[in-house]
This record gives sequence, structure tokens and C-alpha cells, in this order.
Amino acid sequence: MKTATAPRHVHAAPTAPPAARSRRRRDPAPYLLLSPAALVLAVVTLAPIGFLVFTSFTDWNQRTLFTGTYGFVGADQYTTLLGNPAFWWSLLRTVLFTTAMVAGSVLIGMGVSHLLTRLGRGWRYTVTVVLIVAWAMPNVAASLVWNWLFQPGYGVVNWMLGVFGDTAGLNWAQDPVLAYVVIWLLIVWQAVPFIALTLNAAETQVPHEYQEAARLDGASEIAVYRIVTLRFLRPTLLLITILSVIWDYNVFNQIWLISRGGPGDATATLGVYTYKTAFVGFKIGNGAAISVVTTLLLLALTAVYIRNLLKAGEDL
Amino acid sequence: MKNTIAAVFCLVWIFPVYWMVNTAFKPRPEVMTPDPHFWPHHPTLGNFTAAVTQPQFLTNLGNSVIVVTVTVLASIVLGIFAAAALSRFRFPGRRAIMVVILAVQMLPATAMLIPLFTMFNSLDLLGTYSALILAYVATVLPFSIWVMRGFFVAVPAEIEEAAQIDGAGTWRILISVLFPLVAPGVIATGIFAFIAAWNDYLIAYTFMQDEARYTLPVWLASFTNPHTGTDFGAQMAASVIFAAPVVVFFLIIQRNLVAGMSAGAVKG
Repeated sequence: MKTATAPRHVHAAPTAPPAARSRRRRDPAPYLLLSPAALVLAVVTLAPIGFLVFTSFTDWNQRTLFTGTYGFVGADQYTTLLGNPAFWWSLLRTVLFTTAMVAGSVLIGMGVSHLLTRLGRGWRYTVTVVLIVAWAMPNVAASLVWNWLFQPGYGVVNWMLGVFGDTAGLNWAQDPVLAYVVIWLLIVWQAVPFIALTLNAAETQVPHEYQEAARLDGASEIAVYRIVTLRFLRPTLLLITILSVIWDYNVFNQIWLISRGGPGDATATLGVYTYKTAFVGFKIGNGAAISVVTTLLLLALTAVYIRNLLKAGEDL
Repeated sequence: MKNTIAAVFCLVWIFPVYWMVNTAFKPRPEVMTPDPHFWPHHPTLGNFTAAVTQPQFLTNLGNSVIVVTVTVLASIVLGIFAAAALSRFRFPGRRAIMVVILAVQMLPATAMLIPLFTMFNSLDLLGTYSALILAYVATVLPFSIWVMRGFFVAVPAEIEEAAQIDGAGTWRILISVLFPLVAPGVIATGIFAFIAAWNDYLIAYTFMQDEARYTLPVWLASFTNPHTGTDFGAQMAASVIFAAPVVVFFLIIQRNLVAGMSAGAVKG
């Protein structure tokens, strides 16, 4: 089965290279075509990655910004970092928060995807448009809307919660737990459309005969979904989950614009912690070391994702 | 039952967007009230006027337009040739290049931000359009190549072979046969590139360091000034202005959204 993450038109593509193409093996054309982009990518992506690793072995800081001088400190940034409880707390926060966000968005996404398969045309169309509009909201705009929805005093959410008592003054961003709730709601709200639509594309491909057969055998609707549908969705679900983990682990804008990582450091996940270290405290060498560690922690997942994506539909 | 669930879901999910639009059209007394109005009782365009007459609005809009346009054009031109190479030819190193293209998208934003910042600082480029464009091309070019490659792969090899039999050379086939066939895909990719660059907040906020040089997202976020208090009506009107082109583009390319997202085009 093709997963929905592969462009659908890939089905029409030949899987083996036709003879015509292998004849051109000595053709310099591909190299000529590739070289401008390769050159630019080498300068703007590969060189910076090398430079990031390099910087993590220096004491690049605010002084360097003006004087241009810095010294090599060997692995000092790494030993300091690994001995710093703030880093470990930030890592723990990131792992727990990522888990909560991924679980929330994937579960709701699965529900919405399933709902879409059971709706009539009109409702299906309405739900799809709603999903796309929510998905299209830019990060910055969505974060500002969130701040306004949850604003203490005039925010509409506090007004709605008023049925449970006097909540008008509830200050979401200033409370460690509530700040997480607000950010979680925003991330899940933004993530569900992609997950629901991708899963739905796969779910409509599940052969009906299997579901019918299970129903004839007396399986309940829940059992049909769990035993039949879910089995077909598994590859897509795996890709979506990995992608969600990578994205949620890297979330920055929404946290920054809602809580700035506060109150205190309560919502300072690795992204925020790195940013504050590198661009608020201007300890860039230190920030580079955090970035390297953050990236390494993610590498295994990235590798699995790329493997799957390449396998899923792209003939190599 | 399922229709009720659908209706409740739609209400909940559209509510934040509705509330943004609703607030944008309300006069200030209706915005700042402990009993929220669920539609503007006295609709006004005052918030939009207030937003667009903000000091830096036009300057920052101009910055956004310049930087985004150059980024999109550069990524498409560089990307289309690379995508052709990676889809219609087989050559040593091809697989490695594709892995690199996918891998750089998965890096945390700060992992690119820090080295680009230090590099541009030593080159004295911070605060210039060039810095922003280079940083955006770094984010946008990899997925542009990947997405356009998908469109090239979809062109049946028979078409290419037919042109070859008719005596067309490699370049002729590319320019007269393949490019016209992938044109719709190129437009979709251009829209993805636009959205990614238009929405960026972090890079512009970190690199530009001066109000007059900020782009629109940074301008929008700076509405939340803790010292002057926030004019939520104008802020929501500004959000509508900023989000509108993106929503329109999303609806145009919705059929390609899933493919583009999985290549990292529009981050969640």
C-alpha cells in the first residue's frame, strides 16, 4: 500500500529506469543542472551546519559580536552543558510536552479522519474547509489570537469558563500548568488538520471488502476499526507520528509568543532554552552546543523518517 | 449523531478564526468588555485603519514583499533544474543528495539560526535583505526541490522517449517538453515557498534588529507591547490582513497540501 505522504501521482511513475535514461549515463547534463542549487545549498545549509559544530567548541559570546575574537575551549561547552541541571530539566520538559502534544494531535486527528469517512457530502466538505482554514493560520497570527482568547479580564475563554465560578482574572500565561494547557491547545489545534487529512487520504483507500467481511462476522464498529482499518493505516500513522514528534520537539514560535518560556523557565523547552542562551544571554558557543545535542537526539528519528519517505513512493 | 459531532467539531475548530475576524470588526468598547459580543453590534473598519496606519506597516510590508519575492524566484529557478536532474537522470551521488535535502528540513530552527547568525555577523550582513534572503533560501530551496521532483517523476517516460525519437536532445526535451508539463507543480511549489517565507518570524526577528527593517510577522508580533497595552481590535485586524493571503493560497493548493507538508514545506 502506498502511504498518503507520497505524492499521489507517483503511482503513475515507472519503477524501473527505462533504457532511454540509462543510455545517458555519461551525460554531463544532470551535474550541470544540479550545480547551481548544490552550490547555494552548500553555502547556506551545509557550511552553517559545519560552522555550528565549530562554534560549539568556542566561547563565542557577546564580546565576539563586536570584536570578532573568540577562543577555543575544547569540549568545555559540552561538559558545562551536561553538568547543568537547567539543561536536563529543559530536556525532560521537552520530552513530556512533545509526548502530550503528539498524543493529543494524533488521537484527535485519527478521530476526525474516521469521522470524515462516515459523513455525507455536505458535512464532509464543511469539515474539510474548516480544517484547511485552521491549518492555514500563520503561527504568529494564531499565537496572537490565542493570547486574546485566553486574555485575563476580557478573554472569551475566561468568560465561557465563568459558568464554573469567577474565572475572569485567570492568568493563563503566568501559571506554569495553565501556560502548558494554552500552548498544548494551540499546537493541537494547528496540527490536527494535517494529520486528519493525511490519514483520511489513506483511510479512503482501505478496501471495503475487509471491513464488510468483519461486519458479517459480527464485529462491532469499534472492532472493525481496531482490527481492520487500523492495520491498513499503520504505515501512514507511523510516518505522521514521527513527523509530529520532530515538529513538536522543535516547536518555538508558539511558546515564545505566548509565554516566552515562562513563568520562570516553566515552559522553556529545548528550543526556547537554546534561543534564550544564544540570543538573550548571547552565549552563542553554549547555545551551539545545545543545538548540536538537540539535533543528535533527534537524529535517529529523522533517519527513520527519511528511510520511510524514500521507501514510500520515491523510486531510487 | 455523526452530524452532531461534525457540527460541534466545526464550531470548536473554526471558533478561534471566527473570534479573530469578529474582534477585528468591533469598536473598542465592544472589544474590551467583560461580556463578549458574539458578533459586532456596531461593525467598524476602524481597526483596519488603525492597523495599516501604524508607523512601520508600509515599510515592513515592503520588506516582506521584497524578501519573499526574491526568495521564491531564486528557489524556483534553482530548484527546477535540480529537481529535473534528480528525477529524470540517474547518476552517482543522487541518493546522497536526496537524503541531505530531506535531512536539513528536520533540523531544529535554532540549529540553522545560530551558525547563520555568526556567519552573517562576520560578513557584516546582519540587518540586510541579503541575510534574510539567504536564510530563507536555506529553508525553502530544499523542499522546493523535493516537491518539484515529485511532479517531474509523474511525467511518463514515454513522453520523453517519443521526443527523443523525434530527434530532440537532452536540453530541448527539458525545456520544450518537461518544463511545460510540470508548470502547475511549479506554481504550487511557488505558493509553498511563499507561505514558508511570508510566515517566518524567528529569523527576521533575530537578524533584522531594527524596527524599520522588520518584516510583517515581526511587526504583527510587536503589537503585543507590554508597556503601551495591547489594542486587541487593531491587533486582530492586523492578523486578518496578514493571514488572508495565506488562507487564500491554502485553499488554492489544497490538493497538493499533503504531499508538500510531508516534505517539510509548511511546518505545523
